[in-house]
Amino acid sequence: MSAVLVVHGGAWAIPDELAKASVDGVKTAACEGFSVLKRGGSAVDAVEVAVRALEDNTVFDAGHGAVLNKDGEVELDAIIMDGRTLATGAVSSVKNIANPVSLARAVMEKTSHVMLTSQGANLFAESIGISTVPTETLVTEYERREWEKHKNYNTGVIEDFNTQWAHDTVGAVALDSAGNVACATSTGGIRNKMVGRVGDSSIIGCGGYADNFSGAVSCTGHGESILKVTLARLILSKIEQGKSVTEASQMSLQHMGDRVKGAGGAIVVSPSGHWAATFTTERMAWAAVEQDVLWYGLDPGERLKEQLPQ
Amino acid sequence: MFGFTRYYLSDTSCQMTDLLPVVVVHGGAGIIPKERLQLSISGVCAAVRTGYAILKGGGSSMDAVVETVIQLENNPAFNAGCGSVLNVKGEVEMDAIVMDGKTLASGAVSAVRNIANPIQLARLVMDKTSHACLTAEGANQFARSMGIEEVPQESLITEYSRMRWRKNLAPDANPVESQMGKAGTVGAVAVDLEGNVACATSTGGMLNKMEGRVGDTPIIGSGGYADNQSGAVSTTGHGETIMKITLARLILFHMEQGRSVEDASDLGLACMQSRLGGLGGVVTVDPQGHWAARFSSKQMSWAAAQRDIMHYGLYTGEHFTQSIN
Repeated sequence: MSAVLVVHGGAWAIPDELAKASVDGVKTAACEGFSVLKRGGSAVDAVEVAVRALEDNTVFDAGHGAVLNKDGEVELDAIIMDGRTLATGAVSSVKNIANPVSLARAVMEKTSHVMLTSQGANLFAESIGISTVPTETLVTEYERREWEKHKNYNTGVIEDFNTQWAHDTVGAVALDSAGNVACATSTGGIRNKMVGRVGDSSIIGCGGYADNFSGAVSCTGHGESILKVTLARLILSKIEQGKSVTEASQMSLQHMGDRVKGAGGAIVVSPSGHWAATFTTERMAWAAVEQDVLWYGLDPGERLKEQLPQ
Repeated sequence: MFGFTRYYLSDTSCQMTDLLPVVVVHGGAGIIPKERLQLSISGVCAAVRTGYAILKGGGSSMDAVVETVIQLENNPAFNAGCGSVLNVKGEVEMDAIVMDGKTLASGAVSAVRNIANPIQLARLVMDKTSHACLTAEGANQFARSMGIEEVPQESLITEYSRMRWRKNLAPDANPVESQMGKAGTVGAVAVDLEGNVACATSTGGMLNKMEGRVGDTPIIGSGGYADNQSGAVSTTGHGETIMKITLARLILFHMEQGRSVEDASDLGLACMQSRLGGLGGVVTVDPQGHWAARFSSKQMSWAAAQRDIMHYGLYTGEHFTQSIN
C-alpha cells in the first residue's frame, strides 16, 4: 500500500497578500505529515503532525492565528478520527490551547467519551498536563486589527455570513502503508462568532470522518452549511455507492450549494490511495504527497507538481 | 434481537395521504427499572397526544416535535430537562437538537446548565442566530439575551438521579454499563399535513459523565437528522457509539437508497451493534408518513399517533393500540 497525505488550509476568498504564505504553509505541513508515513507511522500520527504544523503557522485560522469571537476571545474546535476503529476525539469551544488537535487526540485515547466542550475540555487539558497559553500568543496583530474593524458591525443576533471574514479551518487526511485512513480538522471558527458557537470542524460526520471501508474526509467552508448536509459523511456515502473520490466530493459540494447555498471545500483519500482536493469557494490552499511527489494548488483547476528528494 | 413493531396500518389498505399527520416519540432505549415502567409508558403516550393534537390542528412538524419534547423534559421520569442524570461532579449539563427537514435548518445546544427546556433553546438557536450550535456558557449567555429564565439546578435534579449518581461513584461501578440502565434521552419525529418532516432530541447525557462531555444528542446526523427528501430520525442509546457511526444520517442514507423506514432503522442499528457492539434505539418517519420505532436494547418506551390511533410499546415485539378520541 503506498501512503498518501493531503492537507488543506481553508476554503475561502484568500486575499492575494496571504496567497503565497498559505501555499507555502500547506506544502510544508503536507511534507511533515508525509514524513511520518514514510517512516512507517500511522495515519492518525500523520494527520496529527500535519495539522499541528498548520496550527503553529499564524497564516491559518487554527491554534496560532485563530480568529476572535464577539468578546475578543479565542475559542477553538478540533476533531481527529481513526478509520480503523472509528475511534474519535473532539473538543469544541476550548480556550487558549496551542494545539487543539492533540487535545482532541487525548480525548480519543484517554477518555471514554468522544467530545468535550468548553470549560470541561480545558479542565481535561489541565488534568493531562496540557497548559493554556495567553490569548496574545495565539492572536496575530492582523487578526486583532480585523476584529477591531468588524466588531461594531453586527450588534444584532442574526448576522450575514460574509465569506471575507471566514478565515477558515485547516485539516488533513491520510492513508498509511498498513491501509488505515484517518482525518483531522482544526479551527478558530469565524470572526466575531457568538461566544460558544460550535461550527462544523469538531462535529463528527461534518468537519471530518474516517472509515477504513470508504475513506477519510476533512471539510472547510461555511460551517453552518457543512453541518446541515453533514458534508464529510455525505461524501463518504457517495464513495460507498461507487463514486470516485473526485465525483463524490464534487456532487456533495454541489448539493450543499443547491440546497443550503453554502460554499466550501473538502480533501478526501480512499483506502485504495485515490485522493482529491475540491472546493466551490474562490480559493482553497491544499497540498498532497504521494510517492515522493508533492502536488499543490490554490485557484480552481490549479494542480502544480514538485518532485521531492528521495 | 431488534425491537419488533409492526405497522398497525399494514393490514389496512389506505391512501398514502391518509398516513399524515404522524408523530412518533421515544423516552430512551435501555433497561428501564420495573418501578418506572408505567411512568415511562404513560409519559410517552401523553407526549404523543400533545404532538398529534398540534399536527391535527394544522400545526407544523417543528412545533409538534418541540412541544412533545418539552413535555418529556418536564416529566421527571425521563433523562432530559427535569430528571436529567448528573455528571461526575453531581451537576446537570444538558444537550438538545432540533432540525427542520424543509430547509435543513438546525439548532443545538450542548452542555447547557440551569435551563428547564433545552429543546426550546435549541430552537431559538435555529430561529434567532446565524449559528447551528452553541455550547456551555455561551449557550447560557444566549438564553439570557433571549429572556429565558434560568432555573436553580436543584429544580432539575430528582431524588432518583441523585441516588444513581451516588451509587455510581462507588469504585466498582461501571458508568458505561449502568448507562444502558437509564430511562434515557427523549426524542420525537413528525410529518405534518404539508409533508414536512422534523426531529427533536433532548438529554441529560450519560450518568457520571465528565464535565463538558457532549454525547450524540446535539450532534447533527448522530442524535437526529431531518430532510424532506428522505425522512427524520431521533436516536437514543450509547452516545459515543451512535456518534461513531452517525446513526441518524446512516439510517437516512439507507432510506435514500430505497429502504423502508423499518429496514433502514434495523440496518443502522445492526451496523452499530456488529461494528462497535453498541446498543440503541430510534424513531423514524418518511415524508409519506410511514414510521418505525426500533431498538436493539432490551427496552425502549415509544409511542406513535396516526389516523386517530395511538400505538405504543416497551419490550421487543410489543405493540399496543388504542383510539385517541
